[in-house]
Amino acid sequence: MDVSLIVSNILNPPVLAFFLGILAVLVKTDLEIPAPIPKLLSLYLLFAIGFKGGVELVKSGINQSVILTLLAAMLMACVVPVYTFFILRIKLDTYNAAAIAATYGSISAVTFITASSFLTQLGMSFDGFMVAALALMESPAIVVGLILVNVFTVDENEREFNWSEVLQEAFLNSSVFLLVGSLFMGVLTGEHGWQTLKPFTQDMFYGVLTFFLLDMGLLAARRIKDLQKTGFFLISFAILVPIFNAGISLLIAKAIGMSQGDSLLFSVLCASASYIAVPAAMRLTVPEANPSLYVSTALAVTFPFNIIVGIPLYLYGINLFWR
Amino acid sequence: MQPVKRIEIFANYVELGKILESLEKAGVRGHSVIKDVAGKGTRGTITNDLAMTMLDNVYIIAFFPPEKLSLVESNVRQTLSKFGGVCFISDAIEIETTRCVG
Repeated sequence: MDVSLIVSNILNPPVLAFFLGILAVLVKTDLEIPAPIPKLLSLYLLFAIGFKGGVELVKSGINQSVILTLLAAMLMACVVPVYTFFILRIKLDTYNAAAIAATYGSISAVTFITASSFLTQLGMSFDGFMVAALALMESPAIVVGLILVNVFTVDENEREFNWSEVLQEAFLNSSVFLLVGSLFMGVLTGEHGWQTLKPFTQDMFYGVLTFFLLDMGLLAARRIKDLQKTGFFLISFAILVPIFNAGISLLIAKAIGMSQGDSLLFSVLCASASYIAVPAAMRLTVPEANPSLYVSTALAVTFPFNIIVGIPLYLYGINLFWR
Repeated sequence: MQPVKRIEIFANYVELGKILESLEKAGVRGHSVIKDVAGKGTRGTITNDLAMTMLDNVYIIAFFPPEKLSLVESNVRQTLSKFGGVCFISDAIEIETTRCVG
């Protein structure tokens, strides 16, 4: 693999900010970002990426390649939780296996954004409709995870799911709602809306992403100690499964004729794990699962792995496949 | 002055709505919520760095008449048994003051 790819990825302000956050915890500085701010930053990033995606979707229109990409995204969001669940069942109980499977079936918007900034830096083009794939991949994994719990748990007290609550949590949680809502805003306002909001959604974007990743670095470093609870099996899972998912996604991308830029974003979506939408949904719907397992693996292992090594690694795979 | 009961709950932000609903159903008319709570409990450290995952912690405090104790206790127990969290109920005295307008 070309080391220069990893180096050029690391020498990105957002990724360097992530390292700075990790360093701040390791050297025990008192650097802390007040609690409501990371929430605001993550909402801003979701809004900005959704809006941009909507505008781009208007430009590209709905054609066969868009439909195929969105179908592939939905397929992966439904299939990944199923096979990861059975891998996790080797060592974990049904509740924890389902919660972690749902986490890995869903996506990380920030990993996606970091990958798109990496592509921009390399001068590789990608389509705006990939944001629609991002929005579509957030929720199905939550529902599949809950179906798995329902099918594979034998409760003495006959576990009852309130499906309307589950669907509300899966499809109307704040991050999905904002992402889809801003996507529609972009579709409805088009280029005029884009020009109006450009100082907010474009000019500020990378600064906010950089600052957000500084906080993510702080958070990931603080969560490292939780990995003692997860053990070697889960740490290996959190690295190997994303690579495996990315491999499958690249085969699908090649089969349906995606461009290289879109393929990288698709592989990043399939390889990433959710730490915003899924933990909240799982906490409410599968309270028996331990959040320190599914949050820590996603935040402290998979997220850093993807933004440091994963993105260049998947691009290397694309260069091999598409050669 | 009149005797009241004080209920204090530490839980995840994501369960806040359900806890407040259970208090409401038990007839607790008011409450206060403090978000972004950190500290150390008997079950380990409570961090305050998971706001974006909605798994940050909240502190709920409410006061209610002593006769509602058993209903409040059973309602809250039901919710916390499912989702986790800790709850304390203690005695307090309410000082009745003149309600000012404006």
